[in-house]
Amino acid sequence: MTSYRRRLERDLDAWIDRGLVAAANREEILATASEGRRIDAATVLGIIGGLLAGVAVIAFVAANWSAIPRIGRFGTVLAAFLGAAGGAAWAASRKRDVTRQVLLCIAALEFAAAIGLTGQIFDIAGDAQAALRMAGLAAVALAAAGASPWAGAVGLLLIALGDFEGPWMSGGRSDWPGWLVIAAPLAGAAALRWRSAPLAHAAGLCLVLTVLTLGEAARSNAERAFLGAAAVLALAATGLRLARDRFEAPAGVLYGWCVWGALIWFGAAGFGEQMRGVLHSVVWLGVSAGVVVLGRHDRSSAITAAGVIGLFVAGATLLFNLGVGLLTSAMVFGLLAAASLVIAFIIRRGKTA
Amino acid sequence: MKPPSAPVRILAVAGVLALGLVGLVVREGRARAEGQEVRLAMTGYDPRSLLSGHFVQFQLRQDLPPAAPCPGQSEAGASVEDGWVALRADGARHVAAGAASTREAALRLAPVAVRGVLTCTPGLAPQRPGDDDRPLEVQTLLLDLGIDRIHLDQAQAEVMERQLRRFDPDAVVEADALVSVGRDGKARLVGVVVGGKRTDLDWW
Repeated sequence: MTSYRRRLERDLDAWIDRGLVAAANREEILATASEGRRIDAATVLGIIGGLLAGVAVIAFVAANWSAIPRIGRFGTVLAAFLGAAGGAAWAASRKRDVTRQVLLCIAALEFAAAIGLTGQIFDIAGDAQAALRMAGLAAVALAAAGASPWAGAVGLLLIALGDFEGPWMSGGRSDWPGWLVIAAPLAGAAALRWRSAPLAHAAGLCLVLTVLTLGEAARSNAERAFLGAAAVLALAATGLRLARDRFEAPAGVLYGWCVWGALIWFGAAGFGEQMRGVLHSVVWLGVSAGVVVLGRHDRSSAITAAGVIGLFVAGATLLFNLGVGLLTSAMVFGLLAAASLVIAFIIRRGKTA
Repeated sequence: MKPPSAPVRILAVAGVLALGLVGLVVREGRARAEGQEVRLAMTGYDPRSLLSGHFVQFQLRQDLPPAAPCPGQSEAGASVEDGWVALRADGARHVAAGAASTREAALRLAPVAVRGVLTCTPGLAPQRPGDDDRPLEVQTLLLDLGIDRIHLDQAQAEVMERQLRRFDPDAVVEADALVSVGRDGKARLVGVVVGGKRTDLDWW
């Protein structure tokens, strides 16, 4: 929001110079521009101090771990978790939002550690995937209870780790899709509801990676799965682009991730035997060029970057698919360049008309 | 009705999660106590890992007598969750009598059925001084019951690790895992016996 205020100050000065706005209204207009919540240095130092104190306690307990009876260790693990959760409840009652979010994240991570340590303390054999997923669900429950998108992001990442635990792309895992198929879209919806950019980033990353957790569907026909994922992500990107005005920054973040994901999986589909070829590379080039135009239009450097990288990689695959025949390559690139110039000319004429 | 406030919701969820963890420990402890205890031969497998706490990793394995054939093994791709192994008493120990795809089929082979995977691999028996020069071919049973380590204090773990890693044909260290086979067929570690010294898992 600071950059918005600075831009507004510059624009206001220009409007005043041109006589569009009365100079007397400058301060009043600026006062209506919200600054947004900023975390000050004292808060940051407080957070760092709290985390360091936690590390000190963990190191002290670890140094004496062997000397503590099993039941004592279990009690310590539970007390640490309940202490963090209790602190979060206290912070919520005092309306201390940052403290509440940090303590809920710590509580979520401590519960994840508690699952592992309990298994170790009592030699309870278990599945690492199930443990990570349970820890993720616990973090999501804490996030929902405390309306904390940060804890939600922790939960989503734990669920993602659970999905990727073990030989997930080989035949060793379940035929069922991973939990991300449901968790990532839900996290995206939560990010929009809570207006949280951090959760939107976590959800966006997981939306892109979800296709790798599709299990047997992705293993048996990877190309179709990748192409399907690209189509779904492109549709989601379209919807999110339209929703940016309503949901602000988180929608923009998710929109960017979906564009990246759609391009990545469309490109990945062309590495299989069925779709590999000049046609796929040319379409990929065209789509990437379209994404560059979209990124420039939306003034989004992330989306422009996706398009530019797509252009590079698609160009490289086109050369490869042409068998690096230089004459043929020159002809194809020449045709593509001519097509781009013609489209640019038509667009420019349409604007000036 | 007014929904509960955020502090109340956080405390309620934290309480449920803590109770869930306590319930897991109590349930596992009860299942361990109520299960049928069997004693299975084991050998050392790998030194302790600092990142995973102090534990001794072991492998449930036993060499069959020379010329003894392999019992039925688990099917390829079988896992601890969906495979069954039948165990029969053999002196103080239990040995694998064969693998099956269902509990009923395993119980037809031997009186105890446990979830796991049984593999039988050919190998050579350790030679002792005075033995025939030709090494004896034996079959080795490898049992995966989902338990492969015991967490101990550092000093205990180091002593046990040294014993399990020592290989002396003249003084073979007898090492056994004490396993509780619950009603659900799941194997739970009760303790280990290494060189005649029994170490039990308890609350202390």
